[in-house]
Amino acid sequence: MASSTPIRLPWRLLTRAVGAAHPLIPSTHYIRTQQPISFQRPAISRNYSEATPPPEVENATPPSQPPQTLTENTPVSEGPPGPPRLPRAVQAVYLRPLRRQAEYGVPSCDLQLRSYSVRNLEFFCDFALRAAYYLGLPASGPVPLPRITERWTVPRASFVYKKSQENFERRTVRRLIQIKDGNPETVELWLAFLQKHAYYGIGMKANVFEFAKVGVGKNMDTEMEKMKDIVGKTWDRVGVATTVGTKLTAEEIIERVNTQNFRAATHGNAPLSKLPGSISR
Amino acid sequence: MSMFRAKKLDLGSFVNVKVIRDHTKRKVFAENEPERQALRYIIRNLALPQRTRVQAQLQLAQMHCYTRPTQIRNRCIEGGKGRGVLRDFKMTRYNFRLNALAGKLPGVKKASW
Repeated sequence: MASSTPIRLPWRLLTRAVGAAHPLIPSTHYIRTQQPISFQRPAISRNYSEATPPPEVENATPPSQPPQTLTENTPVSEGPPGPPRLPRAVQAVYLRPLRRQAEYGVPSCDLQLRSYSVRNLEFFCDFALRAAYYLGLPASGPVPLPRITERWTVPRASFVYKKSQENFERRTVRRLIQIKDGNPETVELWLAFLQKHAYYGIGMKANVFEFAKVGVGKNMDTEMEKMKDIVGKTWDRVGVATTVGTKLTAEEIIERVNTQNFRAATHGNAPLSKLPGSISR
Repeated sequence: MSMFRAKKLDLGSFVNVKVIRDHTKRKVFAENEPERQALRYIIRNLALPQRTRVQAQLQLAQMHCYTRPTQIRNRCIEGGKGRGVLRDFKMTRYNFRLNALAGKLPGVKKASW
């Protein structure tokens, strides 16, 4: 039944079709079922139709030869001969994203995605879940969070005529993806990957939870005691790249902080960061 | 006040005398905010001697009016108008409507509910 499924079908239809055939199989594990969904490869025909004149190379082959397909080149190892399936990883693209089971269920990262369009958001959530799976992170979601609706009512005219007004609105849709039992470094990697492949019109906000043993404050105190010598040396030359041995006075530091280049580096090139009195170097 | 104004135009939006003035006020306020806050702190600190506090009061009162946050007014980036400016878009209501109808504001649509 599923063998006749064309390659272009979205995963929703596929899963529905398979789910009808195997009602006992949970919906998230279609890939691991014993009867995988097989995809028909597009048969690439080398035979040209009669309407187009065949080129010189094709003249050598007899016209009675059946259309040559890609399936002839691939040997069928076992089982009944049928159209070969796509690789599992490619099949998975058409199906719902795979998930890993969280062992302890301790949340390590909450990623909130926001957008004005549901379509883009759903797509990117799917992408994020797949990325999490292949990084070995157990992800849950996407949880649809309440929409944020902002409305503005303005008069239609540029001047007076308050009786005739117009309403505008902006709906922000949100989704939450939670990573559980994630290794902090892997979570960082996942977030960096998502940021690298950021999709247009989608904002991301991540709350990353870090866990430490009881007695964090005491540990930090002891660490501070240990680092006192190093930190003292560093703080003498804080934020200023000078050669070792030279010390800047407070006035010099203030002057340097107020230079235009420094302000641009720390606050960006916004108009407010450029002071009229600041020296440009 | 010309002494505060930037020698070169440092604005990218609609430019107008009032817009430049407001922009200058914002810059001057940002520059002098720590000083203002320090003086305010001295004035309100009951632990300090009365004389110091009165002096701080006088100093604060003598600061230039451009250093006051109350001088700042949001103005339209499209037309420089000072009234009916939507904070979310920094635009007057009519400019907002024009931009929204043109689809230049992401996510803003005509609402009907």
